[in-house]
Amino acid sequence: MTIKRQYTLPYCNLVLEGLSANANDPFSPLTILMNAECRLPGVTDITLTGGREFLDSLVAAVSGYGQELLSGVTRPAQTPGTPAPIVALKPGDHHNHHLIVRQHPIGEPALDTTALPPLDIPLTTVQFFDLMETVDQLLADTQTLPDLTAQFQAVSRRLVKPAEPMTKRAAPAVLGAAALAAAGLALFFVPPPQFEPAPPGRQTDTPAETSSAVSNPDSPTAPPTGAEAGLSNPEQLAAAPVIVDPEKMAVLQDQLTRRLETAWQLDSPPSGDLAYRVVVAEDGDLLGYKYANDRALAEVDRTPLPALTLGPEPAAPPGQDPVAQFLVTFTPTGQVLASPWREPSPDSEPRAANPLPPLAVKITDPDQLRQLNRTLYDRIAAQLSPRSAPAALTYRVRLTADGDIIGYEPVNAAAGSLAQETPLPGLVSAAASQTPSDTGQADFKVVFSETGVLEVSPWEGWPQ
Amino acid sequence: MPVENPVGLESPLILDTLTTPALPSADCPRRARTQLDLLLLAIEALDLGGSEAMLAVARELALDSLVKGRVNLWLLRSTNPMRRYSQRRPMALDEAKALVAIVGNLARRLTVLLRQLLTGYQQLQDKQLSLDHHLRLADYLTRFRTHFRARMNPRRAGVIAYSTDEKLDELAIQLLEQLLLCSGVLGTQRLWSSLFDGEVA
Repeated sequence: MTIKRQYTLPYCNLVLEGLSANANDPFSPLTILMNAECRLPGVTDITLTGGREFLDSLVAAVSGYGQELLSGVTRPAQTPGTPAPIVALKPGDHHNHHLIVRQHPIGEPALDTTALPPLDIPLTTVQFFDLMETVDQLLADTQTLPDLTAQFQAVSRRLVKPAEPMTKRAAPAVLGAAALAAAGLALFFVPPPQFEPAPPGRQTDTPAETSSAVSNPDSPTAPPTGAEAGLSNPEQLAAAPVIVDPEKMAVLQDQLTRRLETAWQLDSPPSGDLAYRVVVAEDGDLLGYKYANDRALAEVDRTPLPALTLGPEPAAPPGQDPVAQFLVTFTPTGQVLASPWREPSPDSEPRAANPLPPLAVKITDPDQLRQLNRTLYDRIAAQLSPRSAPAALTYRVRLTADGDIIGYEPVNAAAGSLAQETPLPGLVSAAASQTPSDTGQADFKVVFSETGVLEVSPWEGWPQ
Repeated sequence: MPVENPVGLESPLILDTLTTPALPSADCPRRARTQLDLLLLAIEALDLGGSEAMLAVARELALDSLVKGRVNLWLLRSTNPMRRYSQRRPMALDEAKALVAIVGNLARRLTVLLRQLLTGYQQLQDKQLSLDHHLRLADYLTRFRTHFRARMNPRRAGVIAYSTDEKLDELAIQLLEQLLLCSGVLGTQRLWSSLFDGEVA
């Protein structure tokens, strides 16, 4: 016998017609479904009908969507390949929902349901709740379709789509890599910072000088390294052009002597002669000084030199302005003696490569020039050792008429820095450096080529 | 209206209808703790005696062993990480089941009010009117905002997302809908299952 079951809520009517398993028992449950009919009064006039397939699809869609609304976790779409379900639910705007049903109209011959445009019924949340509640009551009703029960299943972690698509999740990483690349490219054009070591003496000039003077004012055995660093070192000024004008030298010498005498307080006379090598600028400023004997180092505080020396920041860096060097001696009797500084012998001061003053008396005799040229060549060649220079070293070498080497002057940059590799410093004779220049002198050009060949020629060319 | 529930919510074995999910850990996931507390917060905003009703329902459902009293209920709800005084203690699955049963039971009692409010909200939306035009709804929203701001830690990222009135109203309406969905015959089971969406293996 036919049984009709009806579930009614304000916005949804679900009517099921079917047969009971046992026709004779009035309490026998409805087990065979003939037709299911779902009306949505107040929503639409369309009546959704179908058999068991329709009902199963309705139950699955409504139940799953209800759970989706509660959890906010989107259920995975049906696997590709299977036909679209007859009933589906999708979220809409502003708390609305869309019931999508693919069914063929009543009264017409059955067609392929997938070919028809699906019905789209918008539902409010209350309307959807009524639809869900009728379905739930059917599921909970053990007298109707007992095999149809609620199947709640939480969505598996693996099936949940990440909240953001892969492209969006990868965007920060890509952006970071791109920024790094752009920054690298931009910095590629920025030159690396040049590390310029400060001139070693400049920074330690005055502060260290005072500290060393205070810490060991009377110690005659002060370590020479500390003293060299502590006292102003005229060696740094060696690269500066030297004042050669004798009149200017005389004026500077006079000026220096008077300044020192004025500033020197004789309350503590030195125990002996104090000799200093003093560097003076063109305008008379005291640029630096260095002790010339041990007592001078120990008793530097008794001289006015530390007070008169310029601060650590002279107007122009050393090496730019011409300077004059004097040997200043403070005697125990209170006298200040100044005389032009002369290079000591090359044995103690190997860096004899000072600029040569212009020749006062030139040797012009061709025979004598050739003779001197040969003498020079032989003397250098006798001590020439193999060397590895990246460039040719060119020097201007000055000889006396007797063939003694007075001095030499590097012509190119490499020659200046590599003079110690040549025999020249050892050949300058101390006696010759003091020789007055009125006996006649000659300049020669000496070239040590990269391949080790020695060339010697008169500076002004071979005589005709 | 809902027929008599064959499962029998008054049964002391109510928790047996809620199957234990296959979780990686024995504790309640973070989202479940948050969701349960927010639903209870919405019930409080709907019903002035909501917090008393929760304890009464717990006694009716013979859940005294799990929800022992006011303080215990407060501790359970404070496992919500958004709370100002969030508790570090975990929430056991049985305790979560008890809260789900309480939510479902109270939601059923509030079904009529929930339908009214949601229908009113829909009408206001259709007429493009602000939510103040429905007195009962505006009352609920105001109370929900007050409760939320008083109890949630404003420095938490999850709470910062609800910094404006509009966003809080949106959350309140969403919780109304979820309460309605919990009020059906199978609402409790559906809510329980939904707590673990995306959490089970």
